[in-house]
Amino acid sequence: MTPVSLESYLLVGAALFTLGLVGFLTRRNLIIMFLCAEMMLQGVAINLVAFARYRGNMGGQVLTLFIIAVAACEAAISLALILVLFKRRKSLDVSLWQDLREPDQDPIEDEEPLPTPPRAAPLPTLPVAGREPVSVPKENSHV
Amino acid sequence: MFDDPRPYLWLIPALPFLGAVLAAFLGPRYLKDKSHWPVLLGSVGACFFAVLTAISVGNGFVGAKVYYTWFSLGNLDVTFALRADALTAVMLLTVTFIGSLIVIFAIGYMHGDPGYPRFFAAVGLFLAAMTLLVSADNFILLYAGWEGVGVCSYLLIGFWYHKPSAAAAARKAFLVTRLGDIGLFIGIVLLWLHGPHSHSPHSLDMDTVFAGAAGNVWLGVACFCLFVGAAGKSAQFPLHVWLPDAMEGPTPVSALIHAATMVTAGVYLLARCTPLFVLVPEVQLIVAVVAAFTSLLAALIALTQTDLKKVMAYSTISQLGYMFLALGSANHPKLVVLAVSAAIFHLFTHAFFKALLFLASGSVMHAMGNIIDMRRFGGLRKVLPTTHWTFLCGAAALAGIPFLSGFWSKDDIVAATLGASHYGMFGSVYHGLFIIAMITAGLTAFYTFRAYFLTFWGETRVPDEAYMDHGHAHGDAHADAHGHDAGHGHAAHADHGVAAHAHGESGPIDRSKKLESPPMMLVPLMILAVGALFVGIALGPTGLFAHFLEDHWMRGTGATGFTGLLPFEKEAHHLHWDLMILSGVIALAGVGLAFFFYVKSPAVPARIARSASGLYDLSRNLFYLDEIFAALIVKPAAALAQVMRVIDFYIVDGLVDLAGQVPTFIGFLVRPIQNGLVQFYALLMALGVGGFLLAILLK
Repeated sequence: MTPVSLESYLLVGAALFTLGLVGFLTRRNLIIMFLCAEMMLQGVAINLVAFARYRGNMGGQVLTLFIIAVAACEAAISLALILVLFKRRKSLDVSLWQDLREPDQDPIEDEEPLPTPPRAAPLPTLPVAGREPVSVPKENSHV
Repeated sequence: MFDDPRPYLWLIPALPFLGAVLAAFLGPRYLKDKSHWPVLLGSVGACFFAVLTAISVGNGFVGAKVYYTWFSLGNLDVTFALRADALTAVMLLTVTFIGSLIVIFAIGYMHGDPGYPRFFAAVGLFLAAMTLLVSADNFILLYAGWEGVGVCSYLLIGFWYHKPSAAAAARKAFLVTRLGDIGLFIGIVLLWLHGPHSHSPHSLDMDTVFAGAAGNVWLGVACFCLFVGAAGKSAQFPLHVWLPDAMEGPTPVSALIHAATMVTAGVYLLARCTPLFVLVPEVQLIVAVVAAFTSLLAALIALTQTDLKKVMAYSTISQLGYMFLALGSANHPKLVVLAVSAAIFHLFTHAFFKALLFLASGSVMHAMGNIIDMRRFGGLRKVLPTTHWTFLCGAAALAGIPFLSGFWSKDDIVAATLGASHYGMFGSVYHGLFIIAMITAGLTAFYTFRAYFLTFWGETRVPDEAYMDHGHAHGDAHADAHGHDAGHGHAAHADHGVAAHAHGESGPIDRSKKLESPPMMLVPLMILAVGALFVGIALGPTGLFAHFLEDHWMRGTGATGFTGLLPFEKEAHHLHWDLMILSGVIALAGVGLAFFFYVKSPAVPARIARSASGLYDLSRNLFYLDEIFAALIVKPAAALAQVMRVIDFYIVDGLVDLAGQVPTFIGFLVRPIQNGLVQFYALLMALGVGGFLLAILLK
């Protein structure tokens, strides 16, 4: 079995990185963008591992482990931030957040806005614990 | 203690300074109406040490002490060095003694003023600066005291700063004397630059400067510059215009400026630098001519003023002219002792009677509810008995009535001028100056007693303001008086016309109130009156004063004494009986004429004024000097300032703004990429990294 050449690893890494970059630049969903950023990171990590194996030292591998650990923390933080942003605008569209532009510039409006998601059915609400429900919805009256 | 004043010499400027600091920092919060205590103690303490200094100088001490080195520049050491000799001792005595009396007077006069602590702080600083000036052994230190005096005069003349006229007068005083100060500074620099280069390190100590003066080719120019400085401070023509305006300050300040401090600084400077001036008789001639002209001009102006304090102000200018005339008469080594001691003696006696006259005027003003215009009151000798007889003592001494202080010192001065006409190449000029001095003496007697008779004789007239609650409205009332004499008063009004006005208004005014000032103000008057009467006869004809100066200063061992600089010949001090009789007659004639004009037949002056209305207006309007200076100097200076403003605003500011515009423009170009879109930023970043990679690959 012939060993896989270095170029193959690098190609996979480059492909991952490029896909991630393109995705990051083109998608507007915050979570997708975040995933794309992670993908770029993993492309770089593959490069590191490949070079480490090619050179025969463990430094690159150790660094990759660190990258993965850091990426995990980063994921936790960025998901939390995305959650906050979502709570503010009820949307994951990144183009809603342009407030840090120069004050005299107009915001950039997309000619083709995102389709508004269908209104989700209201979530069932639970009665307060330890108290008799005051009114019972009609649909459930037969229970 | 009585042999060497150096251990306590530094306390003389330090004590009033300390008092001023305490009054300034503790006054407004804690001391309040007791703020005079630190300054009073400081000035009395300084006076005590000044007496000790004078005693030890009398015991034969002449010398200086370097307390510490103030700063060093290259090979120039400027030291904080004070000296003690007869001249310094006399000046210190005058300044601290008169200063202390004025502080006591001011306690009564300024009582209740909202700026009470500020007043005493400034007075203390004033005394500190003046004592530093007269005891400095170093020209730079002298200059520091000189400027300190200037600043304090600004603070005190503008004491009632909310009054526009006072603020303007303070500014005028500061700027005009500043003009002279520039001259003084140039003079000092010339003395230093062209001084004794063989001495190393360079020094501006008086001894070094005087020792090297003989070889200085610039000595004439330097002396002239020193005289310009002295003329600014001592109000000689044409820089005299600030002194009459200085009346805007509180009256004790006027007394302080006119008698003890400030104006005597110029006289002191020239007397101190006599070893330099004797070497350049041409400059001495300039000094004498300017001085004689000033004294005559000021006397002529004083003839027609109706503001009591203005009369006194112009008389000060005139008397300062006398002092400078004496100093300028020292055109030959033989005359030095006579001329310089005459000048300093006149300074000394003048300090007594002029302080007395100003404080008495202040007492009149205080009693009259801050009215100082002589047209508004008259016949006050029954109303203000103590003020009246003290004022009379001062007026008689100023007029040169025989055997009073002013008589002896003025006599010495005319004797010196007459002596100068026997020596040197300008003898005939000095002869003319002598005649001018005699005329001025007659005018002095006349205008002094004109003021006296108008104020204290004739029908008793007291303005209504005197009976009102004159708590402390100095400012407004004096501004009112100022307005009166600024207008074109007709002669008839000038002397007795306003009586109707004073009586015309009736109101619920209690006319039984006692008007005489409180004892706190009268005691200094009495002390000064005794001085004005007897200081002259005690020290003048007995030769005590001249011998003190001669033995302990001019013949001093150091180079500051004149021995070694001049072929010093002793001319015996003798009394000039012929001159004394002449000047006595002139003085009495002046007084008699004033009595005839203003008591016997008060209609005569008005008639004379009408028949010579041109001259009268000229004198009354101060020879239009203020207007002439305004047109010649102030207007062009203002125009220049306007041009400078345009240059500053459009050219200098334009350049600065341009430098600021460049980054703004660059920012304008690149600002659109800040659009707030995360992905746009990421795209630019990717492109940038790509660009760098491309550049590296293609290299």
